Amino acid sequence: MSRLWPRLFTHAALIAVGAIILVPVIWVVTAGFRTQISLLTGQFLFAPVLANFTEVLFSKTSDFLVNYRNSMIVGSASTVLCLTVATLAAWSLARLGWPRWVVHVFLGWALLFQMLPPLALAGAWYTLSRAVGLDNSFVGLILAHTVLNLPMALWLMGVFVREVPLELEEAARIDGASTFTVLRHIVLPLVAPGLAACAILTFVFSWNEFAVALNLTMKQTATVPVAIAKFAQDFEIRYTQMAAAAGLSILPALVLLLIGQRFIVRGLTQGAVK
Amino acid sequence: MRLSRWATFGPALLLMLVLGVLPLANLFYTSFHTVTWAAGKATFTPAGIGNYLALPADPLLRAGFFNTIVFAVGAVGGQMVLGFGLALLCSRVTRGRVLYRAVFILPILIPGIVIGAIWKLMLNFDFGLVNQITDLVGMDPRNWLGDRQTALASVIAVDIWHWTPFCFLLLLAGLESLPQDPYEAAKIDGASWWQELRYITLPLMAPAILVTFAFRLVIAFKVFDEIYLLTGGGPVTATEVLSFTLFQRLFTEDREGYGSAMAVAIIFLCSLLLVVAVSVGRRSERAA
Amino acid sequence: MTSKRITRRQTVAGMTAAAGALGLPMIGAAQGKVSPITIVVNQSPWFDSFRKTVEAYEKESGNKVELDVNPFAGSLEKQRNSVRAAKGQYDVLIMNSGWFAEMYFGGFVEALSDIDPGFKLDKDIFTLNDTVYFDPVKKTMTPSGKLMSMPISPLIPVLYYRGDLYKQTGLKAPDTFAELEDNAKKLNKPPRMYGIVQRGARGPATVSFDFYPYLYGFGGSLFKDQAAGDYTVTLNSELGRTALDYYIRLAKEAGHPKTAAMDQADLIQNMVTGKTAHVMMVISAWSQMDDPNKSAVVGKVDFAPTPHAPGHSTAPGLGHWLGGVARNVPDERKRGAVEFLRWYQTKAAQMVTAEAGGIPVSAAIYREPLAQEPRFRWMKAIAESLPHAVSTMNFPEASEVIPILELGLNQAIAGETNSVAALNSMADQIHAVMAKYKYNTGVLPKLK
Repeated sequence: MSRLWPRLFTHAALIAVGAIILVPVIWVVTAGFRTQISLLTGQFLFAPVLANFTEVLFSKTSDFLVNYRNSMIVGSASTVLCLTVATLAAWSLARLGWPRWVVHVFLGWALLFQMLPPLALAGAWYTLSRAVGLDNSFVGLILAHTVLNLPMALWLMGVFVREVPLELEEAARIDGASTFTVLRHIVLPLVAPGLAACAILTFVFSWNEFAVALNLTMKQTATVPVAIAKFAQDFEIRYTQMAAAAGLSILPALVLLLIGQRFIVRGLTQGAVK
Repeated sequence: MRLSRWATFGPALLLMLVLGVLPLANLFYTSFHTVTWAAGKATFTPAGIGNYLALPADPLLRAGFFNTIVFAVGAVGGQMVLGFGLALLCSRVTRGRVLYRAVFILPILIPGIVIGAIWKLMLNFDFGLVNQITDLVGMDPRNWLGDRQTALASVIAVDIWHWTPFCFLLLLAGLESLPQDPYEAAKIDGASWWQELRYITLPLMAPAILVTFAFRLVIAFKVFDEIYLLTGGGPVTATEVLSFTLFQRLFTEDREGYGSAMAVAIIFLCSLLLVVAVSVGRRSERAA
Repeated sequence: MTSKRITRRQTVAGMTAAAGALGLPMIGAAQGKVSPITIVVNQSPWFDSFRKTVEAYEKESGNKVELDVNPFAGSLEKQRNSVRAAKGQYDVLIMNSGWFAEMYFGGFVEALSDIDPGFKLDKDIFTLNDTVYFDPVKKTMTPSGKLMSMPISPLIPVLYYRGDLYKQTGLKAPDTFAELEDNAKKLNKPPRMYGIVQRGARGPATVSFDFYPYLYGFGGSLFKDQAAGDYTVTLNSELGRTALDYYIRLAKEAGHPKTAAMDQADLIQNMVTGKTAHVMMVISAWSQMDDPNKSAVVGKVDFAPTPHAPGHSTAPGLGHWLGGVARNVPDERKRGAVEFLRWYQTKAAQMVTAEAGGIPVSAAIYREPLAQEPRFRWMKAIAESLPHAVSTMNFPEASEVIPILELGLNQAIAGETNSVAALNSMADQIHAVMAKYKYNTGVLPKLK
């Protein structure tokens, strides 16, 4: 049987799905360039305007650039913190001889915690952060996002960490490698694809998180979702401005993804070399 | 050795205890009281298990329970199958893999509120894009979000669109980390792609699939943004889901004691479901 | 959520502008420089005018005002967090009709007359069904109570109708419900144009808000006499049935086929794209009608008070915003807050609001030549309606009653129950809630 047939089918299927995914995304992004009435009447062709972007970025009531910066700070910091803590802990639980019950209870507790609606936690976190005077700084929100994403990161890194062959680590230890060396030179390169995937997800979740961000920030520390939510007002939704803001908000994650791609590929070749 | 154990595990433990146990304990404590505010101060009146006993009589909760299960199974099922299928297909191609991956990821990059608002517009009866497309193929316009029969299905479809990238990303990463040796051996033995899938890929991917499924399920139980903007729980109670009911009772109606009891009950039910799901998964894993 | 005791919080050092009380004839001589204050407000169509008004205040008085702007979804949460903490973040709370009762009853806002005994409400200010007053002992809102807040934005629904179509067909603005039904039927040409689109969807305060003008306009009500503290449920009276039957009939014969799924956004959409001849909608959407970027019917929409039954007056429900002063902030900030509110009610301040496109709360503005301008043609309808505006629920547990109304009304409009069963069921449930919280309540005999 020719190799062409299955390959053609594969690409056709991928392109079809890609189209279904792309159409609404393109719709959102282009909506940012329309007037509201053009969007509401469902016009197909339209004359693009920049009014929405100027309104979102430069109007007197908008702090969008500040919010953007805030989201970058919170997103990067919480992702780095979360992944570091999660990878260390996941590896520790898998390889450092903790009793089974500790592993099960902790991972089970993490999963349970993931089920709580963030809204239910936000109130308690607000009270806590006010009590220690952190309510208008980034620290509170960074810690909150770290904790929110920790269970998922823990479990995921747990899977990827277990895929590292035990023999490699043991061989390294016999050669006298310290824990740190084992982690840095053996484990890290091999879990790179998983780490990259996890990083993208953690960053995106933090970037898009609304409920807790709303509670733990004020004007100077507000993040992008809080800004976007302002377009869904009590009596109307400002679709075109929301779309413009949304279009802008996709950019960092997209960039991160493109960078992360190369990281994943490198991790692949590394694994092959072993 | 002792030090490195605690140094690596300690931070996670600390974070989860301080920021995790405290709010949960607070929730648990509040669920056994009724909370009232006067002159700027709160009064906690013990209510025994009264709040819990009132839960089954809640009409929104009854509808919410059923809808959430349908939603979770339908949406998560769909996403897992689609995500895995896409990941499989993607792992087979080398040309354009980067492009495909970038495109398939896009929906998850968009904030939940925007997804709700934009899909609400697209599914609009009078002006929506979806009805414009169905018009092109000669179908009648349907009120996707306003009709009892199609409302929940439409919300599930939006959720599948939104979250398939999550499953796709994780499963693809899992696939790419798999060792190549078993595949080479299988090729030498002349195995078909179906046999490859069933005897090599699936068993090796089992942990990744299970974790992705578990987390996706757990997140699906919390679904809120989409419901809030798309349907507000309607029409009537067709799309009322547990977390939306919780939001209404706990926050909108400010019934802290009752709402906390609801939150605790939801967590308890979810964990039961998860335990069942995991043990079923474990048993099939052992059987494989 | 327990309120925790916290250490003395570092207050942010605000810039205190140089003492420069420049020509403030309305404000007493003692005031001039006061502590900077923070106002928490939500982003909305009228926010721009509020911001400009605040800027005018800063310029004129030299006092500093910080605005914390939030999305509507979450405004309540942020205000609650602040008032329930030992020390509040916000000095002035812009409270929605949905939660001001919670703030009054919970003692979270302090009476303006307690902070400044000389404070007087300007005689031209609309008191919005006396919701600015509160008697903490009797727990009612009547002028004999204390003055708790200042009206900030008096949002009520009005009837938007296509003036151009009226001219073409020789119709005049409807006064009674019968006239509205007539006109709507005449202009109803589905699917190109609907006679009227009503907001029948179930939401946080959607169909219930839409129904109030009908219910109260027919002479019905939710409770017997709130001002006297009598919360006997009167929803399922004959008048209530007339109102609900009319609503459903109007939807069937001249309305949108999917009324039970129509939300505020749908109403606005239908109006601005020219697909409906009437909507009863909150006034704050007026600016969209004449904006060429947002509307295809620029200059064609006219406004009238919501209709009523003969013998009764127009009765739009209040979805308003009130400005109150938080209790848990330092005294000098409370005084600064009261200073701002005192200035806000002056004619000069209200003129700024009106010119910036906001909705004035002072009757003086509606007497000005400004109100005759074509771009402000909605002012006449508002001025007529505001004295009759109805605050339907003056108690905090309203948030438990609203979902009952939302579900029940939505079911009736969707045709899943008939109006009698729906009204009886809602009345029973509301009575149960009122009884649970120990209000003086009762229930009418069931409708047949």
